[in-house]
Amino acid sequence: MDPIRKDEFDSEACGSKAPKSKPCPRPKPGEAAGGCSFDGAQITLLPIMDAAHLVHGPIACAGNSWESRGTLSSGPSLSQYGFATDLNDSDIIFGGEKKLKESIDYIAGRFAPPAIFVYSTCVTALIGEDMDAVCKEAGDRLGIPVIPVNSPGFVGSKNLGNRLAGDALLQYVIGTGEPEPELPPGVNLIGEYNIAGEMWDIEKLMNSAGIAVTSRITGDARYKEITWAHRAKVNMVVCSRALLGLAKEMESRYGIPYFEGSFYGAKETTYSLRQMAYLMNDRDMERRVDRLTEREESRLIQDLRPYRKILKGKKAVLYTGGVKSWSVISALKELGVQVVGVGTNKSTEDDVRRIADRVGDDTEYIPEGGATRILKTVRERKADIMIAGGRNMYVAMKEQIPFIDINQERHKAYAGYEGLLRLAKELTYSLANPIWKLAASPAPWDKEVPYDR
Amino acid sequence: MTVNRRNKPASVNPIKIGQSLGAVLALQGCYRAMPLIHGSQGCSAFPKALLTRHFREPIAVQTSALQEMDVIFDANRNLEEALNIVLSKHRPDIIGIIGTELTDVAGVDYATMLKSYKRERNMRGGLAFSVVLPDFRGSLESGFSATVEAMIDEMIQQVGHRGSRTVNTRQITLLPGSFLTPADVMELKEMISAFGFEVIAVPDISTSLSGHLLTGFSPLTRGGVPLDSMLQSLQSGLTIAVGASMERPARRLHNALGTPYKVFSGAMGLKASDEMLHFLHQISGEPVPLRYCWQRENLLDSMLDAHFQFAGMSVVSALEPDHLYSISAWLEELGVEQKALIASYETPVVAGMEREVWIGDMDDAEVLGKGADLWISNSHGIAGAQRVGAAFMPAGFPVWNELGAYMSVSVGYRGAMEWSNKAGNLLMQREAKHRESSVRHR
Repeated sequence: MDPIRKDEFDSEACGSKAPKSKPCPRPKPGEAAGGCSFDGAQITLLPIMDAAHLVHGPIACAGNSWESRGTLSSGPSLSQYGFATDLNDSDIIFGGEKKLKESIDYIAGRFAPPAIFVYSTCVTALIGEDMDAVCKEAGDRLGIPVIPVNSPGFVGSKNLGNRLAGDALLQYVIGTGEPEPELPPGVNLIGEYNIAGEMWDIEKLMNSAGIAVTSRITGDARYKEITWAHRAKVNMVVCSRALLGLAKEMESRYGIPYFEGSFYGAKETTYSLRQMAYLMNDRDMERRVDRLTEREESRLIQDLRPYRKILKGKKAVLYTGGVKSWSVISALKELGVQVVGVGTNKSTEDDVRRIADRVGDDTEYIPEGGATRILKTVRERKADIMIAGGRNMYVAMKEQIPFIDINQERHKAYAGYEGLLRLAKELTYSLANPIWKLAASPAPWDKEVPYDR
Repeated sequence: MTVNRRNKPASVNPIKIGQSLGAVLALQGCYRAMPLIHGSQGCSAFPKALLTRHFREPIAVQTSALQEMDVIFDANRNLEEALNIVLSKHRPDIIGIIGTELTDVAGVDYATMLKSYKRERNMRGGLAFSVVLPDFRGSLESGFSATVEAMIDEMIQQVGHRGSRTVNTRQITLLPGSFLTPADVMELKEMISAFGFEVIAVPDISTSLSGHLLTGFSPLTRGGVPLDSMLQSLQSGLTIAVGASMERPARRLHNALGTPYKVFSGAMGLKASDEMLHFLHQISGEPVPLRYCWQRENLLDSMLDAHFQFAGMSVVSALEPDHLYSISAWLEELGVEQKALIASYETPVVAGMEREVWIGDMDDAEVLGKGADLWISNSHGIAGAQRVGAAFMPAGFPVWNELGAYMSVSVGYRGAMEWSNKAGNLLMQREAKHRESSVRHR
């Protein structure tokens, strides 16, 4: 097995196909933060809710990571099971292929999933397990797809893992099934993971405008719907630059046009819906979208009024990965919140360009450096709030800085018009919480004024 | 009595957690420390995320960020780079290099590398050690105790050639096991010091992961036992280890310095608390402080109040070995049926238990615990408990479904009382719900 096909991936690991984009920077020992490729591959594929996801390796890769994401399911929950081959010493020495085979058989026999995804890990890649062959043999024997995902942690960053997962979908899943004939032509949502149920808000909007979803890739997805993704009329790449390659490949293979869009902020949401209707080449649909977006936007303006009053002029530091780095800026701007610092750690050149389009000249770019660097920006720019991922949440708490979680562990959905209103509310509640005053004032005996007898 | 395993090839819904996470946890209990995981990025990102989620605190950890080519050619180049950066940027007092399955399978020798690194740079004053913790062996518990052992080894070596040692008989070294919460460690420290002893806990998560706002953010650990106290602990007249897994580090101190030790395998329930307080009373010659006499009565009274609730109830618990042992003894006192006991991996203490123990995962808990009324495990067990129809009681690591789990006390009379009430309340609520659903509407 050759888990890393360098020639294919290096140039486009983090973004567009054009070689102008920088390759994924090597993580710096002693200063690295964030997950590995294995993590990234799971992020992309775990939301296929009815499939079984088996980690081939010693326990930690599965034991430390299962049930760690806020991606929600509207039905089946098999993907929330943690499956691991749990290799021990002797498996490492004599090889774990037999155990892998038995594990696949066991899962297929007991849970009857529509498909099994098998993830390689550093150790199984290092000892040269022929995962592809085991999966192929098992799949043929069992009559269900058994899909190898060759994304061991040490090949690179989370982003690369997303890409490798997309690759597995292209190679083994997309194009292997056909939709029911009554399914209307629709849109694939690529790279929307239904964190806190965001996908459902988006689908509600699309339904109101009469736009069908063909496949969800992969938030709250069922395995079957991804097999017929090639029958969609349009691909929308939502918030994941790493899966752009998937959309591009689908364009060249199946002639499906794609666009990149976001649902953070009213403007972006409207743009995305319009773009869908436009690419569907359906006049009626375009008119319906126009009516819907006008109605939603005017209602939103009403609803936002009290919050905008409070949020206007507030300053925020935004530290998040990839597309959210720019798409959330739009949402914040609509609320009157000024972004004074923004992380570009995991952003591609395109992302940075989009950030530049949306922020003023005096916004500070935070390329790397983790918590210390973010805090410095918050202090220097006198930011009122920090918006980042869960890993930095308690960093902010220690420094008594109001905080909003924007990444995958959160419990609030911020996409679409309703999402923007929710974001406005969350920002307001966070800023207005009495704890900031209480925590900042000393205990009575620490106040300097002596007791007046 | 017997240790069983269900016959199935894959682990389904594992309780087992990588050893390296245990090491990171142990180092959080040392002041200005930096655990440095020698592995790929994910090897540190996952433990960091999981520990953060459980303790709701920032967690200090770094990585040598190995990539494929580094593993093939020279993984230690990354480690050296990481050490350079960590030392120059953060100046930690303690560095623990944690070897992973990746470095182990690749056969990377970082112990020798660390030695020459220290020699070349003339590193003094701090404590730098390495520990081998591949995750195809053991679990959180073994990673934790092995790290404490390696730390103690390094301390002994450093102090060893500094001449004779004076023993302070009024000072006790406490080696708290990995299953104890910050509040538990605090409670144990208080119990021991109530008899007039000085206590040095190694490590001491009670002052680092218990939540404090004192010093703002630091990339290093912000609390825990400082290095000089740790070194001073070598002068203690006695070691008290809580949890059987901590016997090995205690024995290290005994073999190298002759410090006698006492191991308390169990830490929960009336008997375990009695044993500990009686022991402290005997070695100190001090009377048992009044507050513990009161607490003992409170506990007995609350157990009397609660015993109606426990009658005829059955429990399934799935935990790390020491924790399972400890909780099983407490369950014994409640008079409930222990339907299934599941440990993450096999240790002598679970093998020696008088009950049947299974080595397994949450799925085994589901199958073996069918019909149980109460389910005790980490938060990964919530779904299983639901499917079984049992009330869910979070314990161990990780717990993310309730606030303040890390501040819950389980040791001493107070802990036993808190847990008995909690378990009783859960069963009471469950009963009420059942009654509600069985009301017939006409």
